[in-house]
Amino acid sequence: MRLTLRALISHGRVARKMGLGPESRINMLRNLLTGLVRHERIETTTARADEVRFYAEKLVDYAKRGDTDEKAMKMASFWLTEKDLVPKLFNVLAPRFETHSKGYTRMARLPNRDNLDRAKMAVLEYKGNPFPPLYPVKKDNELTLINQLLRGYREDRAQQLATKA
Amino acid sequence: MATRSACRALERRFASAAAAAAAAAAARPLVAEVRSQRNAVFSREQARQRALYPRIEKIEVSMQGPGLDGTLLVMNRGMSTPLSCARHLTEYHVNNSVLALVDGEPWPLHQPLTDSCSMTLLTFKDSDPTLANQAYWRSCAALLGQVLQTAFKDDYTVELLSTPEVPVTSGAFCCDVALDPQLDSWTPSEESLRSLTKGAQQLIHKDLPWEPLEVAPSVALEVFSHSRCKQEEVEEKAAQHPKGRVTLYRCGDHVLLSAGPLVARTGLCSQYEVTALHSLGQGPWGLHRRAQGLSLPLQLQAHHTVWRKLRQRAEKLVEVSRLEEAAPPSPPDSTPPPTSQ
Repeated sequence: MRLTLRALISHGRVARKMGLGPESRINMLRNLLTGLVRHERIETTTARADEVRFYAEKLVDYAKRGDTDEKAMKMASFWLTEKDLVPKLFNVLAPRFETHSKGYTRMARLPNRDNLDRAKMAVLEYKGNPFPPLYPVKKDNELTLINQLLRGYREDRAQQLATKA
Repeated sequence: MATRSACRALERRFASAAAAAAAAAAARPLVAEVRSQRNAVFSREQARQRALYPRIEKIEVSMQGPGLDGTLLVMNRGMSTPLSCARHLTEYHVNNSVLALVDGEPWPLHQPLTDSCSMTLLTFKDSDPTLANQAYWRSCAALLGQVLQTAFKDDYTVELLSTPEVPVTSGAFCCDVALDPQLDSWTPSEESLRSLTKGAQQLIHKDLPWEPLEVAPSVALEVFSHSRCKQEEVEEKAAQHPKGRVTLYRCGDHVLLSAGPLVARTGLCSQYEVTALHSLGQGPWGLHRRAQGLSLPLQLQAHHTVWRKLRQRAEKLVEVSRLEEAAPPSPPDSTPPPTSQ
């Protein structure tokens, strides 16, 4: 190829480089994906989590085809290094996301890693996992004075509407 | 000529009116006298109860609560109140505690502690503020009673009847009152309700503490010696109480009787409005009237849109069924009675 300046400037190049090369990148993503399928929630650097996300969703799309499908089984056995997770993928994760068309994963930022590198961390999870939610829902206390007064008001209005109708 | 005769007629009329008023006033003890007498008896009893502990004895109070579990405070018997325990903690506890729970029993913040115990300070924002809400509702009703007592001119008698226990969901706290027979035909206008509200706001601004005092029924009967209605109430309360004692509260210079614990001080209320005065018909003490109001504490203020809606609801008469005292009463009565119930 021509040894132009274009090869050195990376404007607009969206594909990430990870590890020692493309094969190393795929191996790293494979390990991350296996961990994700086993534990359903993992913590890594933001870039790796972002990369794995695409493959995680594609894997679930393949799993939805069913384990009788040749291609789906090949994909699953390639991407999952621990073979006891292949039945989990087809029997647990695929039925869970039957009604969803896309968006099987959720990513949230974490505080930077405590090491010297201060790397940007993220947590990646499959939706519907058994752990407590990443963004806890804060419910207003129903028993405070103002909420009790409002409850009485709402009941009163409902009663009035019922008698009017 | 005509004017002179008219003048003489007017003079005679005024003279007779003045004589009648003087006679009536002499027969009824002056309101200020009654108040000072009640105050004097209360202070005397309070001093006597304090003198029961001449030497300082120490008690151990263990605090429970978020962030406080197991804190041990060494306080004085008969002198330290839950408020003084709060003052040992932080300013947040002093400003925000409404009621104390001493060994599981609701305890007013200004009542002295008598034994080593475990104490929890309650606020309006706990996970279960039901006790605090009830105490607040009772205190607002007591404040309304105090305002009504002092609002009218000395010529008119005001009899405070027993305040009904209303749950918070009914929308307004009530204070039952029997006014002077001369006022039977008077219905309060917007202006008068607003002036009552202003009176209440003045009391709130003064931030007066509600001082509790547990007394024997005889002392309570002496305090309310000028009011037969109050004496009956004292006897009723003494019969209900397990130990036969009656709790009196004093706010400023007004002594009152209450069914349960009241909050610490008037300054805890912020949005307070007297919403209505309904007539309930003739009772044993005269025309039975129910004064209603709405209030919210300092920590739970409402936006003006929400306040307006709640206030509109508080103008409606709140029905209290006398048969069930502890259980929640029927929902508030709107003009067409609910048929589907």
